[in-house]
Amino acid sequence: MKVIECKDLTKAYIGKNALNQLSFSIEENKITGLVGRNGAGKTTLLKIIGGFLKETSGTIQVFSERPFNSLNVSAHSIFVDDKMSFPPALQLYELLEAAGSFYPNWDMDLAERLFDYFSFDRKAYHQRLSKGKTSTFNMIVGLAARCPLTIFDEPTTGMDAVVRKDFYRALLKDYLAFPRTIILSSHHLDEIEDLLEDILLINDGKKHLHMPMEELKEWAIGIKGATATVLEWSDKKELIYKNQIGADTLYAVVKNDFDEPSLMKASLAGLKITSVSASDLCVYLTSESKGGIDNVFSDR
Amino acid sequence: MSLVIANLVDIVKKQYLFKLKANIDSFSSLIWIQLLALLFSLGGVGSTLASSGYLSIEVKYYSADLVIAFTMIWAFVTAIIITTKPYRNQDFTYVTNRLSSSLANIIFLLTASIIGGITAMLVNNLLKIIAYFIFNEQLYSFQSGFRELALGISMTILYVFCISAFGYLVGTLVQVSKLFILFVPVLFFGTILLKTSVQKEPFLTSIFKFYFFEPSLLLLLLKILLTSCLFFFTSIAILNRMEVRR
Repeated sequence: MKVIECKDLTKAYIGKNALNQLSFSIEENKITGLVGRNGAGKTTLLKIIGGFLKETSGTIQVFSERPFNSLNVSAHSIFVDDKMSFPPALQLYELLEAAGSFYPNWDMDLAERLFDYFSFDRKAYHQRLSKGKTSTFNMIVGLAARCPLTIFDEPTTGMDAVVRKDFYRALLKDYLAFPRTIILSSHHLDEIEDLLEDILLINDGKKHLHMPMEELKEWAIGIKGATATVLEWSDKKELIYKNQIGADTLYAVVKNDFDEPSLMKASLAGLKITSVSASDLCVYLTSESKGGIDNVFSDR
Repeated sequence: MSLVIANLVDIVKKQYLFKLKANIDSFSSLIWIQLLALLFSLGGVGSTLASSGYLSIEVKYYSADLVIAFTMIWAFVTAIIITTKPYRNQDFTYVTNRLSSSLANIIFLLTASIIGGITAMLVNNLLKIIAYFIFNEQLYSFQSGFRELALGISMTILYVFCISAFGYLVGTLVQVSKLFILFVPVLFFGTILLKTSVQKEPFLTSIFKFYFFEPSLLLLLLKILLTSCLFFFTSIAILNRMEVRR
């Protein structure tokens, strides 16, 4: 079953398209990572899926319904980020109870255990929490709600390394016990890559890649060696990234459509073949060709 | 995982209970506002002094009209507040759509009007008690008895509810465009100022007469309920198209 299906989805803000003809679908009970540079349109996409924003054109279907103004989508999905708005009059524990009254699958036991583990005070107020604590609390709500569609938009904002690790672990454990569709947007792809099944890379509001994580890891290879040899080998291949190291060494990332024998030959020719990590690859794929930040400071 | 079909009535009920808890502060502000109005009313709203020879009569009027007026302002402001961004965003943290959010808001405003109306009339009685026991005034009350009290309470509730409906509409319009923050007061005071320039009864006075000088109870009920419905329908229609958490 497809939980999310969108076709030619476009969202226009004044003078700019945040999403541009985006088409993809997400299967039930998969953990999908949504990655992209700042301003690529990740949050806009997630807010449309959650029914907060209205699409400008194209179609989007969540549980076979248009999410905007759908009570069903709202009841079966939860959108978690660091800006979740809670009433200032209620204490943290009352917020959990309120969530419990709304979400049909709410697991109060899990919520309480996580609440105590991260040492929250039941009588504290959401407004007075620190950035990391706010994210942690919102994450607890997101996990315990056990919504068939759980959306985490940059859930780890402000969390320290330990809490981030705990969060990923908690997410995985609860997912294994109660499979559901999860979309996780994050800039720390290296931290979450073991968690993800699929990856959806968007750039400038358009879909760049949508494939299983396993495939992405082998999608490209890095070649390092003498400049001339590398150029000869990467000729006619899709060059994704190249970096001159020293006088006569070049590191190039190309799309991996070599077969075994040719890779063997490359090794014999003195080239070093390496795999490219998913997070590096995503950076290379979405980088703008402006020669990096160093260019800003050169020739001043 | 089971996908139970979400039920609108059920969600509205949950939203309403949630709003009662979340907006508890508005009720404490009601108490302060009514106490303030009570303080202002302690001097009496008017007095006449008549004397002939050795006899002198002073009549002082004590009325809680000011309390009711303050309660109306409170309802107006409360209605505007719950249309603002943070309040709408709060609804969307949990389960809602725009319709259920507005319906829950309306029921909340009705509850607020009921509480506001009852307490306003009770403050009226408190004022009489203070006048009698503390100021030692001899009381000649026009309205007394349960029937009058019940009538007073229900009329106050109706008016307060209608004002809150108007507030909800104003709040909604302001959410559409901040220009309405300017536009609504200009319209309001503009019609008053118009009176002096064109020597005509201002629009506002006719509205006031239309709603407050209606002798038939049934007709009044109809007028107020229809007006409130109109305000709420317009608001719902506008809010239904609005995005949240932009």
